[in-house]
Amino acid sequence: MTKHRNSIVFWAGAAVFLIAVLSMTQIVRNEYPFFAGYVILQFIALAVAWSILGGYAGYVNFGTNAFFGVGVYTAVALFKATGAPLVVQIAAAAVVGMTLGFGVGLLTLRMRGIFFSIATIALAIIIETFVMNWRFVGGAAGIQIQRPPVMAPFDSYVKMLFFVQALLVVIAVSIARYIQNSRIGRGLQALRDDELAAECTGVPTLKLKLVACMISGALISAAGAPAAMYLQYADPSSAFNLSYSVSALAMALIGGTAHWIGPVLGAILLGSTQQLLAVTISSEVNVLVLGIMLVLFVVGAPKGIIGLLRPRYRLRAGGKP
Amino acid sequence: MKRRTFLGGAMAVAVLGQGSSALAQQPPIKIGMSMPQTGGLAGGGKASLLGIEIWRDDINAKGGLLGRKVELVVYDDKSSASETPAIYAKLVDVDKVDLLFAPYATVPTAPIMPFVKQRGLLLMGNFSFQVNSKVGHDMWFNNAPWGPADSWAASFLDLAQKAGGKNMALLTADQEFAQNLALTARDVAKKRNLPVVFDQVYPPNTVEFSSIIRALKAAKPDIVYVASYPPDSAGILRAVNEIGIGDDVKIFGGGMVGLQFAAVMSNLGSLLNGVVNYNTWLPEKSMYFDGTKEFFDKYTKRAVEAKVDPLGYYLAPFGYAMGQMIEAAVNSTKSLDQKGIAKYLRENEHKTIVGPIAFSADGERKETATLQAQFRGVKDKDIEQFRSPGKQVILFPEKLKTGDLISPFEAARK
Repeated sequence: MTKHRNSIVFWAGAAVFLIAVLSMTQIVRNEYPFFAGYVILQFIALAVAWSILGGYAGYVNFGTNAFFGVGVYTAVALFKATGAPLVVQIAAAAVVGMTLGFGVGLLTLRMRGIFFSIATIALAIIIETFVMNWRFVGGAAGIQIQRPPVMAPFDSYVKMLFFVQALLVVIAVSIARYIQNSRIGRGLQALRDDELAAECTGVPTLKLKLVACMISGALISAAGAPAAMYLQYADPSSAFNLSYSVSALAMALIGGTAHWIGPVLGAILLGSTQQLLAVTISSEVNVLVLGIMLVLFVVGAPKGIIGLLRPRYRLRAGGKP
Repeated sequence: MKRRTFLGGAMAVAVLGQGSSALAQQPPIKIGMSMPQTGGLAGGGKASLLGIEIWRDDINAKGGLLGRKVELVVYDDKSSASETPAIYAKLVDVDKVDLLFAPYATVPTAPIMPFVKQRGLLLMGNFSFQVNSKVGHDMWFNNAPWGPADSWAASFLDLAQKAGGKNMALLTADQEFAQNLALTARDVAKKRNLPVVFDQVYPPNTVEFSSIIRALKAAKPDIVYVASYPPDSAGILRAVNEIGIGDDVKIFGGGMVGLQFAAVMSNLGSLLNGVVNYNTWLPEKSMYFDGTKEFFDKYTKRAVEAKVDPLGYYLAPFGYAMGQMIEAAVNSTKSLDQKGIAKYLRENEHKTIVGPIAFSADGERKETATLQAQFRGVKDKDIEQFRSPGKQVILFPEKLKTGDLISPFEAARK
């Protein structure tokens, strides 16, 4: 019964969020909130997608930038070759990201812990090198892209991208929420705690890991795809920038990985701080501030923001710890 | 005693405040930009910003623009393309700046080109390479001396062919700027029927070049065109020093990034001798224009405090020149109307501390003023030597020439 009520609240919240975003694009004339908001939404999608594998399954993926870059360049290649519309670009990026995720999932057969993380970094470097030598998408020199005309009801492309990214956030969050509450989530949790024990008790670990990798990969690549149109420019060093990996990981950890709301809170907090610092302090200091925030959270709140909120929430809900 | 000091200070402030009250009456003219202050481009970005700040201080000391103080609004773009769209939207929509300068280098600039075109805004370019060629914005003016896209390779190959070069080897880093140079070099070579006997692209993080230099030497080229980045420029020159490059090579260099910066130059020292490389400004006789010396006097003092390149030849004077062009345009048109300023910039030649600047329709220089200069008589571990003329003799352009090419390369290295 509560589960059902929770669902209603969640979907109502998602609908309100999307309506708010849509009406914001219609009312607000100043474009800056959309530029900055797009980046924050993008990080929410990335952090939520990352935590499906990194949080639920405990496989720390350092290759977020690989998936992100693959998303960007799938969109670029498709747009250049066929002039495909944004929706197709995103869908294609999701498919390619899913395939790549399958490959990464197979890696987990042989590698765990730190070795898996290192392998994902290597993956990012390999793909970046490949793109650097792929002249069709500009190679190392990068490529400038001309946006097609914007579609109604939006009056600027950035507003449209802002809405599209909001939609991707809702999709990512609802998938993360579904996984968390389903057999898959429980299975992933079991394998995170002890993979061998989970395997022995009949949890299909390989299948679950593959599913987690594929979904996480597809979502990250999909979130990356609109970046090509947002920047109207793509170059390998920006698209495969390690900061995407670090940010996604930091946001998920700061928010907490046990619940889908964790990465969302982390991304909102860290993403908006980043945007704010970029236009206020704006020097080496902003990198320092983010570093200090991370250290404080790791020391003071090892389970993230939700770790701080949870005990109180549980007491209120039923008095059980 | 303390109180008296305080009172004295307060009075001084009050007096000074009155003096500048004419400036303070009107809101300042805001010039907005992002600048790489962290990340890979930060070294250049900070030096460029210092050049612009010196211009701001000079113009404010003269009474500002149109009687209004000039204020810079600067944000850090972390050397990344993904940061600049939001920053420029903030500058235009929230900070409501009057004029825009571009960040240093191509990558952070590329994403804002469509934005300024769509909004019809003037953008003063800052050392990016051919970012407007596909966008075609008619209110873009690049301060860099590059000129037409192929002139870079053409000037180097001119020198090479005059010295008797008949074939070329290309060694280029797999990065944005180097690849752009390589592309034009291949084009120019093709047009001149100059065979390319060696064409090697190496990954950006390469440190060990001995095998590449051996292979290059085996191809026996006359001309060696190198487009590299700071760490690899050093690696390449070290390998050349160890292995040698063969007596056939008439000329070596062309597009090596890094050999313009004091730290790299003093680190490499005598290994630089003989290399012919691009540059933008050098302390040679022909390079001093109205105000150039005064600018470098100020720069040299402030560079220590700002912890930027102590020489600052490469970027800083062009940052200042960017301000000078705006100053001339605003004073002549007597307004901040961006269309009017753009029209003025397009139609006139501008006197700056880096020489006269005229623009072609694409907003790049009409004629290239990119120098090709040869290192001569450089000693080890001495930054100060680069302040005196004769260490980098200008071979191109003809107007600014201060010497002739010494060839072959092995002879010039001695």
